[in-house]
Amino acid sequence: MLGQQIINGLVAGSAYALFALGLTLMFGVLGVVNLTYGFYFAVGAYLALLAAGAGAPIALALPLAAILAGLVAVVLDFLLLTRLRRTRAPELASLMVTLGATLFLYSAMSALLGSEIRRFPAGLLDNGAFALGAYRISVGQILIVGTAVLLSLGLVSLMGATRTGLAMRALAENSDASELMGVDTQAIMRRVSFLSGALGGAAGVLIGLEYNAIAPYMGEAMTLKGFAIIILGGLGNIGGALAAGLLVGVLEALTAGYVSSVYKEAVGFLLLVLTLWVRPQGLFGRPGARRA
Amino acid sequence: MTHAPKLSPSRRSVFLCALLGFAVLARGAEAADPITIGAIEILSGPNAKYGFSIKNGFDLALEEVNRAGGVRGRPLAIAYEDTGGSKEQAINAARQLIARTKAPLLLGPTLSTEMFAVGPIANERKVPIIGTSTTANGVTAIGPYVFRTSLPEADVVPVTLRTAQAKFGVKKVAVLYGRDDAFTKSGYDVMKAALEKLGVETLATETFGAKDTDFSAQLTKIKSLDPDAVVMSALADAGAGILLAKEAQGFAPKVRFIGGNGLNSPKVLEIAGAAADGLLVGSPWFIGKTDAANQKFIADYKAKYGGEPDQFAAQAYDALHVAASAINAAKDVTGEAIRDALTKTKIVGVTGPLSFTPDRDPADSSGVLVLEVEHGAFKILD
Amino acid sequence: MAQIDDFLWTYQNLLASLGVNGLLALSMYVVLAIGQLSLGQAAFMGLGAYASALLTLKLDAPFPAVIAASMLVPAAVALVIGAPTLRLSGVYLALATVSLGEILRVVLVESDLTGGALGLSGIPEKAGLPLIFACLALALVAFTLICRSRIGRAMEAIREDEIAASASGIDLPAYKMAALVASAMLAGLAGALNAHISSFISPNEYGFDAAVTILSFALLGGIGSPFGPVIGAFILTLLPELLRPLHDYRLVVNGLIIVFAVLFMPHGLLVWPIGRIGAKA
Repeated sequence: MLGQQIINGLVAGSAYALFALGLTLMFGVLGVVNLTYGFYFAVGAYLALLAAGAGAPIALALPLAAILAGLVAVVLDFLLLTRLRRTRAPELASLMVTLGATLFLYSAMSALLGSEIRRFPAGLLDNGAFALGAYRISVGQILIVGTAVLLSLGLVSLMGATRTGLAMRALAENSDASELMGVDTQAIMRRVSFLSGALGGAAGVLIGLEYNAIAPYMGEAMTLKGFAIIILGGLGNIGGALAAGLLVGVLEALTAGYVSSVYKEAVGFLLLVLTLWVRPQGLFGRPGARRA
Repeated sequence: MTHAPKLSPSRRSVFLCALLGFAVLARGAEAADPITIGAIEILSGPNAKYGFSIKNGFDLALEEVNRAGGVRGRPLAIAYEDTGGSKEQAINAARQLIARTKAPLLLGPTLSTEMFAVGPIANERKVPIIGTSTTANGVTAIGPYVFRTSLPEADVVPVTLRTAQAKFGVKKVAVLYGRDDAFTKSGYDVMKAALEKLGVETLATETFGAKDTDFSAQLTKIKSLDPDAVVMSALADAGAGILLAKEAQGFAPKVRFIGGNGLNSPKVLEIAGAAADGLLVGSPWFIGKTDAANQKFIADYKAKYGGEPDQFAAQAYDALHVAASAINAAKDVTGEAIRDALTKTKIVGVTGPLSFTPDRDPADSSGVLVLEVEHGAFKILD
Repeated sequence: MAQIDDFLWTYQNLLASLGVNGLLALSMYVVLAIGQLSLGQAAFMGLGAYASALLTLKLDAPFPAVIAASMLVPAAVALVIGAPTLRLSGVYLALATVSLGEILRVVLVESDLTGGALGLSGIPEKAGLPLIFACLALALVAFTLICRSRIGRAMEAIREDEIAASASGIDLPAYKMAALVASAMLAGLAGALNAHISSFISPNEYGFDAAVTILSFALLGGIGSPFGPVIGAFILTLLPELLRPLHDYRLVVNGLIIVFAVLFMPHGLLVWPIGRIGAKA
């Protein structure tokens, strides 16, 4: 059972990591705790559902949903945060604005679409599972783990090896200085918003597919856990988010398997509280980061 | 080929006469002041579907009661108050219905947790209150004015488990329940007691949260213990998700999944599809019951609302008939008199014979049916 | 007289909600007033509610002791949460208090002592309207006095610019911790009062939605003075009762209020300058 539980944990952990990637990018570069991220997650899932309902295969529905979710993110970022950036409001103001916006968006979404769980049409994804010795891994699970790893690698190399990435890192360090150095900060911010929105949307599609459940509030529970994960991984640290996501996923599965499923839910949050006491910069963060 | 039903001329005139008769009766009844009772249900928000099922059941029975002359020669009316599923709203609603509307009897509320907040208020003012969907333990222990017509899970679940033990030789089971929902938790408490009583071994007890969609860790553990059956207390959405997940994990078809009342829903079949085959559930009512009263109820319900009734509508329909019968039998229209009459009321409804135990729970559980899913449809297991 | 009694009986719970929500809004106000954000107000409330209800139901403790415990338990938890996070930037406190809410929910749901998901029922009605409104009035007077004192000016300085405040000799950590603890105690008190007037409590009442609703009370009223949040709470409690259709869209409205308040009216949608009068004198 241990092997299968670790597989379960790695799959769930990849889903968390996939979700946390865009969140930590947004925080790392834009310096904003953006709670609307969970909304992009749900938007992505619903858009893919719509596309799949119209007969699109998953290979089309997934990128389409991701791109549209990215555009939604750019628009929301513009509406909610430009004013606060201009007035140099404290970071808590942006947290509160996105909190209010999230409440509004979730409730409006469930008022419009109903709060019932929706599911993708059967057969959108191959239902088959590979037997690896005694273990079972489904196509959906491979898709999730694979996408999480690929996207983290892609993001790390984007940040490390391209001009845009360089500009993003500059912005993350100091937005005034990078502006003076001739970086078009507005354009970079839009790109980061788009990218993280698209990542959130893609995560929504894949996780909605794997657990076959889409609901307006699906992002809320995920966002809470996502924040625990990005703090564990060190705020803004992409590799850290991946590692922390996998860690939480595996620990949850092992807790459910060997201790009790009762405590599964609390694992991530207990880890977070411990981290804040012992190592507030995160398990993988640079020391001294983000002190007041 | 089917033909649209056509009325022959003679039959049509009978029909017209009947209509006129009703109109006259209705006008006669209108002259008297109606007796207004209160109903507290969830009519907005995510759980509104339960509230509206119940309201439909009440309204259908109300029409019948008034067509038959009302109660005590006066028409009966229901004043509805919405709770939106919130405790505070339910309390406000009960206080307004008791003090402003002067309702001598309350129906509802929808959830057991709401009843725990509202029951003490009705009891304080000596206004009887009848829950039609409140199945949790301890509801009627709130006080002498709190009744319910819904069979508590404690009556339904043991029947299901006994049947599974007898029919399929279930000896060792794993239990899986939703821990953060009052309905599924109290279902679990009953299951635990029933399993102990039947001498069935429980290999593991696993839980999940209301918003969980990933059940793989729990199911992996359960599968490794090799139970004869998995007993689960879950609402329709989560229950269907578990059935899909056990299919993906490759559980052997001989491992039966046994559910409480929450899984007795067409929604489970719709979502889980083939994965639901073999599922066993217990139910106080079933749409396929062939007795005349039930068939008439289903036909009338379809004619009035277009859709099929569910168990909540059926239980509400019976509850209103119970209420009307008690108001008729009471010596006056006060809460105390109606309470006394309720304790003596006996009717036969669409869910079977209905009367109250001295503790104000439904006395008769002979109406409980065990249903099995076969080829994507519930059928009575016999 | 009978009519007044009837009115009070009918609307008892609504009136009690006004008082309790007023206290909750004040508990949010204390934290916001020094530029911090706590999303754990609902959890502190739940701690107070459960601690008090358990003492009443299991030990039959005298009511004053119950009330004291309902404030001390959340205060202790606030110390544990605040110690590591208040040293860091404000975001950490906000996120840690969210975690507090989640962990509390797991504990409440799991423990047999707290009745699990079924909650605790049959709590005797010990908190009447006079007590609730006396607590609210007392808290309002206390905060108004504090606002006008040196402490109030220090809090305002911290809110406007932490670094400058620190440079001028204000003990930042002490102020932040004191505010968080005071806030937790008020929320706990509100929880205990609510539990002892509505006879039933369950874990789901103290979730994330409740925390955000409490925030919207304070932001609607504005944090210019302690009266603002209380008025905000009154409006948001009464409005859905008066306009029934609004009830469905309660959370939509609360969300919009937060967005507009932060973006366009950082001092609150309601301008209520009382606290400032005399503060600078």
